[in-house]
Amino acid sequence: MVVSMVPGLLAGLESSGIDYDAVAYRTGVILVEDPGWWAEDPNGQGEGQERLRDGPSWEMVDKDKIKRVGLAVSRETPNILLSTKVEKFFSTSFFDEDDYRSKAIFGDIPYSYNFSLNISNPDGTYDLKQTGSPIPLGYGYIRRVVKIKEPGVAEINESFKDRYTGVEWNSTARNFTVRLDFSHLLDPTIKPIYRINPRIEPVNVTITDFRDYLNDSYEDAALKNVTFWKTTKEDPRPVRLSWLSYNEKKPDTYTLHLDGDSHNLTPNEPVNSSISLVLRPNFMTFMGPTDTLDIQFNFDENPPKTNITGIHHYNNTSVTRPDLKTAVLEVAIW
Amino acid sequence: MVNDAGQLYTMEGIAAGLIMILTAYIVVSTTSIYTTGDTHIPDMQLEQLGSDVLAMMDTPDNSSGENQLVGLVYHNRSDNFKKEFLRYCNATTDGTLDNLHMSASVTYRKNSVIKEHPFVAPDETWTGRESAVRVTRWVQLTEGPPNPYENRLQAVLVEVLLWRA
Amino acid sequence: MARLNEEGQWIVLMGLLVAVALFFLALIVNQSALVGQTTSEAVLEFPKNDIRDLRSAIFDYIDAECNEEVEQDIIAISLERKNAVVSFSVGGPQDVQGHKMHPVSIHYNNGVTAYNETTHY
Repeated sequence: MVVSMVPGLLAGLESSGIDYDAVAYRTGVILVEDPGWWAEDPNGQGEGQERLRDGPSWEMVDKDKIKRVGLAVSRETPNILLSTKVEKFFSTSFFDEDDYRSKAIFGDIPYSYNFSLNISNPDGTYDLKQTGSPIPLGYGYIRRVVKIKEPGVAEINESFKDRYTGVEWNSTARNFTVRLDFSHLLDPTIKPIYRINPRIEPVNVTITDFRDYLNDSYEDAALKNVTFWKTTKEDPRPVRLSWLSYNEKKPDTYTLHLDGDSHNLTPNEPVNSSISLVLRPNFMTFMGPTDTLDIQFNFDENPPKTNITGIHHYNNTSVTRPDLKTAVLEVAIW
Repeated sequence: MVNDAGQLYTMEGIAAGLIMILTAYIVVSTTSIYTTGDTHIPDMQLEQLGSDVLAMMDTPDNSSGENQLVGLVYHNRSDNFKKEFLRYCNATTDGTLDNLHMSASVTYRKNSVIKEHPFVAPDETWTGRESAVRVTRWVQLTEGPPNPYENRLQAVLVEVLLWRA
Repeated sequence: MARLNEEGQWIVLMGLLVAVALFFLALIVNQSALVGQTTSEAVLEFPKNDIRDLRSAIFDYIDAECNEEVEQDIIAISLERKNAVVSFSVGGPQDVQGHKMHPVSIHYNNGVTAYNETTHY
């Protein structure tokens, strides 16, 4: 037994080379099969109603709350990555070296790393995303094949003009509502890969060709504000979520663009061609799985410059979802 | 009269001689110890890659799209299956192609007998290759697939052997 | 008679100590070679992809209205080709949060790893 051990002594201490492959494999699993996790500091002060203190949507929170960086859409969808998480992971302005080491690679030794993801677009071009140092001669390695899911857009263009134009004679209020019925969206008969889950991916409502919704002689209409109403199954009366409309403490939960310029939720600005509202997943912390969210665009002015009205349902038929894109992820550790 | 004054020297000489012979033997017979630890690492990398590729081929790109893997097995398109599988496997992020080869077979059940249908035959790199890994995926076929599968709704197992040439 | 030569005892003692230290180091280096072997063997041995694939096959089976022949296929081929004993059962539809779902219970055992799950689909 002693004889077999001594040659090991003469061969030199290079066992750490084997360790690199194991760490690369583990990092690959964390990136590809884990949705990630963030957790609020337990002594933090809560705001608003039923504030969520942890969850898998780490791309929305501050860096110091992130425990683990994972790119998967959810636990149930391994190898399907969410494009918003991918963008955040590879953005050099958000993470630095220590963050990658403590939130993706783990381990006591400060490993050097190189992550690269090559996404193939349907038109034959490739998107290469990379972060880390250039690769040396010997390194630990793993390669994973994945598909990338991009969030969908509910686009309301001029083809809906007839459906969403009406007149209310008695008032100047013009309300256009986009309805998200969570019990319909989270229907388990749809596979989790193709499901629209506003708690995981952003909700994007874009009204284009707004000129077609204007009354004949007017050039633009003013969007007074955007309000949010919640209905639960137990209580069908809509409850207005007032703290969101006026409270500017949460600017990162949404973006609102009128003709390309960004505004807050009470713009009172004229718009003549497009309105785009994106609600990020951390906006949905107070919505339960059977609730309904109504997003109301109020165009209230005297005289009324638009006759837009109606309810547009945000569901699998009205939302254009891009196809999944195949991609290759390579992790190198040394 | 025996003089035992040199006993210690003799013993020391023998011990020294033994140590020198032992050292020479060990130096000559030193081999790399990595052979035991290394063999399974490439296997692990290949197996994970192969499982990923089969899983991605089994995922349609949209909710109404067709399932690529099921279609290829159902219509017995072995050339297309080989091409698609290798396309996924050999893709790397810097654009160069890896050198992986595969062969496949489909296992199905006929009454109480389990049979194997060779789907993709191995190519000329089959001999003199590194060790191969086996990855599998369940596929559910609807009624009416061509021979040799049975004409009923059934579950078959696609087995792919993957190796580096 | 000449007295025993007691010099050099220190050197001999140190030599023994060094030999013991070398022995210990050799042991460490020898064990470190197994690190790579054990990690990759553990990964290869754990049937992560097999279990995920089996769950997906069972969910397809439920989508196909629980065809008896498909169940026999899965059980027989798992035993023959995957060396795993598999059994699963699907109950009638129940109401879960407003949606109709079937309770499913899955058992998998490949001799080294056993996996049991009850879920809804």
